[in-house]
Amino acid sequence: MKFIDPQHDRWQVAAADDGAQPAAHLLLTPAQWQAARAQAEPAAAPAAAPIGLLLPNDFDVETLAADLPRFALIALQFPKWTDGRAYSQARLLRSRLRFAGELRATGEVLVDMLPLLQRTGFDAVQLRPDQSLDSAQRALRFFAGHYQGDAVEPRPHFRRAAPAAARLPS
Amino acid sequence: MYRYTPFDRQFVRERARQFRDQLERNARGELSDDELRPLRLQNGWYVQRHAPMLRIAVPYGELSSRQLRMLARIAREYDRVDQGPHAGRGGVGHFTTRQNLQFNWIELARAADVMDLLAEVDMHGIQTSGNCIRNITSDALAGIAPDEIVDPRPYAELLRQWSTLHPEFAFLPRKFKIAITGAREDRAAIAWHDIGLRLLKDDAGEVGFEVLVGGGMGRTPVIASRASAFVPWRQILVYLEAIVRVYNRYGRRDNAYKARLKILVRAEGPRFFDAVNAEFDQILARDVDGDAQLITEAELERVAAHFTDPSGVRPARGGFEPARHLGAQPGFARWLERNVHGHRVSGYRAVTLSLKRAAQAPGDASAEQMEAAATLADRYSLGEIRVTHDQNLLLPWVREADLYAVWQAARAAGFATPNIGLLTDLIACPGGDYCALANARSIPVAAAIAERFADLDELHDLGDIDLHLSGCINSCGHHHSGHIGILGVDKDGQEWYQLTLGGSDGSALAGAATPGKVIGPAFAADEVPDVIEALIDTYRRARSPGELFVDTARRLGVAPFRAAADAVRQTTARPLAVAEEAEA
Repeated sequence: MKFIDPQHDRWQVAAADDGAQPAAHLLLTPAQWQAARAQAEPAAAPAAAPIGLLLPNDFDVETLAADLPRFALIALQFPKWTDGRAYSQARLLRSRLRFAGELRATGEVLVDMLPLLQRTGFDAVQLRPDQSLDSAQRALRFFAGHYQGDAVEPRPHFRRAAPAAARLPS
Repeated sequence: MYRYTPFDRQFVRERARQFRDQLERNARGELSDDELRPLRLQNGWYVQRHAPMLRIAVPYGELSSRQLRMLARIAREYDRVDQGPHAGRGGVGHFTTRQNLQFNWIELARAADVMDLLAEVDMHGIQTSGNCIRNITSDALAGIAPDEIVDPRPYAELLRQWSTLHPEFAFLPRKFKIAITGAREDRAAIAWHDIGLRLLKDDAGEVGFEVLVGGGMGRTPVIASRASAFVPWRQILVYLEAIVRVYNRYGRRDNAYKARLKILVRAEGPRFFDAVNAEFDQILARDVDGDAQLITEAELERVAAHFTDPSGVRPARGGFEPARHLGAQPGFARWLERNVHGHRVSGYRAVTLSLKRAAQAPGDASAEQMEAAATLADRYSLGEIRVTHDQNLLLPWVREADLYAVWQAARAAGFATPNIGLLTDLIACPGGDYCALANARSIPVAAAIAERFADLDELHDLGDIDLHLSGCINSCGHHHSGHIGILGVDKDGQEWYQLTLGGSDGSALAGAATPGKVIGPAFAADEVPDVIEALIDTYRRARSPGELFVDTARRLGVAPFRAAADAVRQTTARPLAVAEEAEA
């Protein structure tokens, strides 16, 4: 799990008028991305410039299926930490749509969400500023294994031959 | 019974350690009370009117005597108040309609220690509260019922494992309840759950599930609709995953009263079922290892091996001669009739230990009583005991030859009230005496009704009546499904009680699940016993031979019962504005 330090984060949320010419390391809204894609010639798309998306948690990620390889990062949002919709978005992005870029949790991200975030496919988090990095790292180490499959280990416990202890998180 | 594997045991200990860490961070000020709240709820810890409440999971209602003894120990050593206005309270567990056990007086400061003790006997409070998949309930006669088609317990255990700390479904829009039965008779009220599962066999003998979705009580009572007539058993986890994912994505989160699955199902109608079926297909067709969630034959066999008949079971024939005891002890016949149930294995019976008796709240058991029940289970039921959905305990493996001895022992321990299924076997939540959510008290009302109907001859003459009592609209006392339902409401700081008539939990006795109909404005607390008596008198006068209360109520409709109830109004006799307004 990568913990984002906002002071040293290359990614920036795009301003309202940034969409037309996406620069590297801009986080676009779905609307900005659609606008950029509509304008750019397919061949002229700046494939080398890594761009990202910032998705609201009621966004249907299936609609992105064809475009996913274009994104280096997708940031999902927790407007409230008890709103669990982004877990399903992450799971679908990883397990169904095979999104291979960075999947980042943003918004009200608390220490105790870490095990859930990791298992649904997030590999980066931007903690709420008051949260303890130590506690967050410890939160990832409580469980040696789980019953059901997830985005990291798709096989449920009953299909895994190896004992649970073999899957200790680092 | 299911016996924990080393993995299960390690898992519960890890959970206890995680919770201890959260409590310690809270004590150090690193984790606020508000942010601890959803975390402690998902470990079974509420903060109630006087003290925290701990709800302990009893998966599908099965307990061992060893576990019950630990619960007794926790009652004695931890559920106690030594100082302050409530000194001397505690030492009592409350069995709930969801087959769990609640303690009301344990200090949060001792929470982590209690969780460690529970882990010693393979127990916990995981997902007994919070907006997640709750403890899964089942038929208290699972595995022993003569009318059973498929034993639901192996599947209930597979569902327990699937739902436990499911990472995607820990923060759903609202709580989520699953019930499962494998018998012809529905003893688990499955149509009242977010998901109701009925095991059955198709024409080829293949085992599968009828899946009902979107039932629930609360402010808006809804009977579940059928999502699928037959999901093959191998696919059930995939199907459930599809339902809960659609709910997690699309369930309302803007209004807690409209956040349950039932509201989404009603709002979307066929589109909801289409979405579930599409999601189910997508998981299997497209997801990385989507088919890894299909249950394997080997896994079902492994789990089912835990639920074979205990090794001490010896089928017998002809050993039971109740007549031998009936002359000497007339009370025995009544107990046989009401508290003893048929069994799949010849020579065996299931025995209900009634937790509905004078001077104790419905479903309550003291530390001593839990120990007595554990001793009964050891001596007469191969160490197994069940929690029933109507808040009693049940011994699943009683030899017919032991029935007389069990009756005597149960009588000595205060468990032998022969009232199972009768008016005083009522379901009640803890109500305003304990619960911070309640609008009104339940326990004094339950006690007043029990006192009014203490005459066993009268009770038996009245026959089967489900009386369900909730202290607020959250419906923990299942008032909607009572043949007589009582709902506590609050108006201007006073307690009022609204009555309903003709509800059903879905059992054969009361017919298809349905909510009861309200009979007039709410009553004052001191009127409730008179009103119940008026309803009962109306039934007694109007019934045809052999007709049950609920059938008479449906035949006659609300009007004559309402008239009888209105006739005994005292406090609310004049058309008090407050009483009229209390009519929801």
